[in-house]
Amino acid sequence: MEAIWLYQFRLIVIGDSTVGKSCLIRRFTEGRFAQVSDPTVGVDFFSRLVEIEPGKRIKLQIWDTAGQERFRSITRAYYRNSVGGLLLFDITNRRSFQNVHEWLEETKVHVQPYQIVFVLVGHKCDLDTQRQVTRHEAEKLAAAYGMKYIETSARDAINVEKAFTDLTRDIYELVKRGDITIQEGWEGVKSGFVPNVVHSSEEVVKSERRCLC
Amino acid sequence: MSDKDDIETPVVTEAAPILEDENCEPAKNSGSLDLSAKPESKSEPVVSTRKRPEFKHSSDLETSEVLPVQASEAAGKEAVSKDVPQTGWGYWGSWGKSLLSSASATVATVGQGISNVIERAETSLGIPSPSDISTEVQYAAGETNAKESENSSPVSGPFGVFSTISTAVQSTGKSVISGGLDALEFIGKKTMDVIAEGDPGFKRTKGLMNRTSTLSQVLREVKEKEELWTSNEVTIETDKKTHYGLLFDEFQGLSHLEALEMLSRESEIKVKSILNSLSGEELETLKLELEQLKEAFSLAEFCEEEEEETKGDEDFTKEITELFSQLHVSSKPEKLARARNTAYEWISTSLAKPLEKKEEGEKQLEAEEAEQISNSSIEDIHAFAIRSLAELTACSIELFHKIAALVLHGRKQEVSAIERSRALSQMTVLLCKELSSLSKEFTTCLTTAGASNSASYIQDAFQLLLPVLEISLIENKTELPEA
Repeated sequence: MEAIWLYQFRLIVIGDSTVGKSCLIRRFTEGRFAQVSDPTVGVDFFSRLVEIEPGKRIKLQIWDTAGQERFRSITRAYYRNSVGGLLLFDITNRRSFQNVHEWLEETKVHVQPYQIVFVLVGHKCDLDTQRQVTRHEAEKLAAAYGMKYIETSARDAINVEKAFTDLTRDIYELVKRGDITIQEGWEGVKSGFVPNVVHSSEEVVKSERRCLC
Repeated sequence: MSDKDDIETPVVTEAAPILEDENCEPAKNSGSLDLSAKPESKSEPVVSTRKRPEFKHSSDLETSEVLPVQASEAAGKEAVSKDVPQTGWGYWGSWGKSLLSSASATVATVGQGISNVIERAETSLGIPSPSDISTEVQYAAGETNAKESENSSPVSGPFGVFSTISTAVQSTGKSVISGGLDALEFIGKKTMDVIAEGDPGFKRTKGLMNRTSTLSQVLREVKEKEELWTSNEVTIETDKKTHYGLLFDEFQGLSHLEALEMLSRESEIKVKSILNSLSGEELETLKLELEQLKEAFSLAEFCEEEEEETKGDEDFTKEITELFSQLHVSSKPEKLARARNTAYEWISTSLAKPLEKKEEGEKQLEAEEAEQISNSSIEDIHAFAIRSLAELTACSIELFHKIAALVLHGRKQEVSAIERSRALSQMTVLLCKELSSLSKEFTTCLTTAGASNSASYIQDAFQLLLPVLEISLIENKTELPEA
């Protein structure tokens, strides 16, 4: 039944180079931690189903963008078709935190006329001893932009599931309330197929046969 | 007629979730605007830079348009095989011919297994009536046997008409049976598109790309049909395993294709605007250089290559790595090579051509192994074959996407766009051959549809790289004026 999902959300994961975007996504989609990985070229793709309520599945299509500056013009093009995003910084790398503003400004410009629901993610929280960004200041920044803040670790599998599912739930609520709607020519949210109202052709055949009798 | 009314209800509910959602949205008129625009855009010639229209609506439209008829069509296989000839047999017939002539090679080699193959083809392609087809196969096989001897690859021929249509047919086939006229219409439109091009013999796949819709759009459309079908047939969950389009998407093939198309379109726009800004001699020189690039892109002989024995793992890996190094991009085709080698490992360990009773003694089969692979595993082989082809194709598209990204934004390299184009062209040939020989390994239980689709996807993806290389040529020129 895995093909059956209520909606498909396209999420984008952004943030400075080496903050751990690909590792976070791989932990979430593949359930494992890849110690070494090459820098992402352009963009990569992952997907996973999330059950937000019993029987209600959302398919997440996750766009893993390159953090490197040289690919910026490519990744920019992807904001527009995303409904949600994880904005990552590395809690052991102050610079990546300072660049959060820049990332938000950039998305603001390129996402129009749509908008993206962002969550701010302080990654590599297993490395607490090397921490350069306090939880408090990160929370303050997130609040200033109306985002949630969460700290995660791909290595120790801390909050990875929560980061994605909370964001998915928030978007789902917005969709349910009609604040976000499925739109022509926009890939952010797509509706899926609902199994319980579907009748297979077999049944149709049977019912016809009964009629003929 | 009363029976139709009874049947109509479930069909309506089928489409309900989608329609419901769309009714909720305030900007509904924009949707209907696009609907009216759609049919006319179909007949338009090439507008590859055109903003991609949403296709969900088109399928909705088709569904609602034909609903009454669809209800009767949906009544079952019997109904379809009787009713279809009146409405759409012309279509079936025309693609059937090309399908059959390409299938005949398979038929010839398999010999006794003819009904097997037909059955297999029937389930994969969703051909309505096996008996009709089998008669035709026998005719076609007889006609073409002489011309197409065994050494003609079952996948080398059908790049043009057949592959385009079979893309639609293969994936919508099931819904033809269960879903009815909308799917038929869908196939019909695709068929007409191809026929309208009036070139059934053409070998290279301009087909998918040169029409109004982009390749990834066509594929997405097809995949959504498959998904719809899959969710309809909740009882036959296992069949999802053999749906090429769904699997291709699962391996992120569609996403990479979409990303590649974005890069391609962007580059195309840039190239055009640069050409517009130039004049006189400058323009002429550039045009000439771009012309050379285009030639490199049409050099690839995708088919009719002489048969080669299956290469060892090292050979393929070596060859693709070598070609890759000629591109001078900071990436390696490891994932592709891995996927390819996994497929061959699987074949050599668990398949080893169990069903074939070939005279040729290549890969002789141990008796016990043959027993091991009982009939029950035919489904597995089929599923694995489709899966492998889908994976390998997706990996190839991913590779092309990465190449595009690196050509556009990689570090400067001492390599000309022309050289890269030639390497790419060779790579395309290599990949298509590889897919063809992989599918040959699966021949006994496979239709040729998977491989020919795979090959045409790859070739189309290759063509998408042309604008990328063009802009890179232009940029190199402007950045290295002394050179």
